[in-house]
Amino acid sequence: MKKLYSVIAATGLALALTGCGSNPVSTPSIENLDERKLCNVKENGISDVLATATHYNKIAKEHKVEFMRLGMRTSQYIDETNKAIKAGSKTVVLLNKKGKATKNSVSVEYAAHRACKFAVSALTQEEEGKKTWRAAVPGDGFKY
Amino acid sequence: MLLNIVKSTALVALASCMLNAGEFNVQADKDRQALEDYTVAKFMDAEKNRDNFFPYSNDDELKNNIKKDVKFEEFAMGNYAFSIQGQFSYNEIKEMPPYEELVEQGEEMYNSNKAIQACFPKSDIAGDYPFFDQTRNEVVSLTQAINECLVNSGQKKWNEKKGKMPILQAYFSSSSMDAEKKVNIKIPSAKAAEAYERGKEYYYTQKGYLKLSCATCHVQGAGKRVRNESLSQLVGQTTHFPVYRLKWGKDKVENGIGTLERRMQGCIKDQGLVPPKTSSKEMKELLYFMTYMSNGMNVDGPDVRK
Repeated sequence: MKKLYSVIAATGLALALTGCGSNPVSTPSIENLDERKLCNVKENGISDVLATATHYNKIAKEHKVEFMRLGMRTSQYIDETNKAIKAGSKTVVLLNKKGKATKNSVSVEYAAHRACKFAVSALTQEEEGKKTWRAAVPGDGFKY
Repeated sequence: MLLNIVKSTALVALASCMLNAGEFNVQADKDRQALEDYTVAKFMDAEKNRDNFFPYSNDDELKNNIKKDVKFEEFAMGNYAFSIQGQFSYNEIKEMPPYEELVEQGEEMYNSNKAIQACFPKSDIAGDYPFFDQTRNEVVSLTQAINECLVNSGQKKWNEKKGKMPILQAYFSSSSMDAEKKVNIKIPSAKAAEAYERGKEYYYTQKGYLKLSCATCHVQGAGKRVRNESLSQLVGQTTHFPVYRLKWGKDKVENGIGTLERRMQGCIKDQGLVPPKTSSKEMKELLYFMTYMSNGMNVDGPDVRK
């Protein structure tokens, strides 16, 4: 019985010391996300930047803060960039609010960067907004 | 003796409940009053108060476009309350309002739909929505209530942005205006106060890729010019819906009229954010807050906008 106790204690200590019992991936807090570093296509490569965009945009959608620009959502930027890469195209055609192709296009690198920037900024902005919104309320933080 | 104790305890409990019921809107009333004071002060004399409220506007704009001494009740007209040039074209359009025929269509729809009549025995109800449903513990909008009524009677849901929905609402709004009804939103419980606070936070929080809040344009930015339009103010922003927008109706008159939810979605898209769905919790709570800010104002719809 004593042996069993010592085995359990040793295992517990080992897990605690190695950190195996906790989350193995160290995820930076939203506030500390650096969009410029994370979304740098030259340094990280386009596939990593798109993976970052996909990861953070999923959270942004859950939080209902997904960005859109001229009718094109971040998720559409991600999808269209992935499609363009698969097809071997160097450009991504921009979509209108009905999801149809427009005459405008941007490079795949630019589209990946924008998707990533939008995904990360949506979350950092959300965190910031929780602290700053009262500054705009008359009778509260807004003075005139 | 025992009976007296029971009676007085019941009285104390009842009084305490009534007192508490009155307390849930204290913060909302403070907010509304502060917003009213700000808006009235801003449009008292734009030229004189330029440093405080319009530091980037030019002389011509302040002298010739922003009306002086706008009274609180006038804000029910939206930005036409203060925009002299806007009011000029507005009055011209109002001589032959494009929604008149649609109000008549709405009345016919009401009179021919027994289920709608049963759900809404009175048609002058526009100022009472959205309301907080205490049994469901959620905000219920007029749009949602109409669609629930239709579904419960075995009919199909209507589009929540255009078509039949705003046409019926135009009739409700018109009846409410004729009956001189005022916006009358209540906050009956702690849960309702929480819903109001969430709506308020949504309105004042910077969102979207342009990092704008609704307040950036419609509180601090109210009266400023964006292209050829003056930005409307939050006070009175919901009183005149549904609206007929010339932009919406350029291809087909019926498409010109839209619900408040349609307009809000468009505005939120302009911020660079995917808007909440028309009957989502976020949208309804946002409208709950916005409408509370117009409490006591006359229902002034339907109306026309560019």
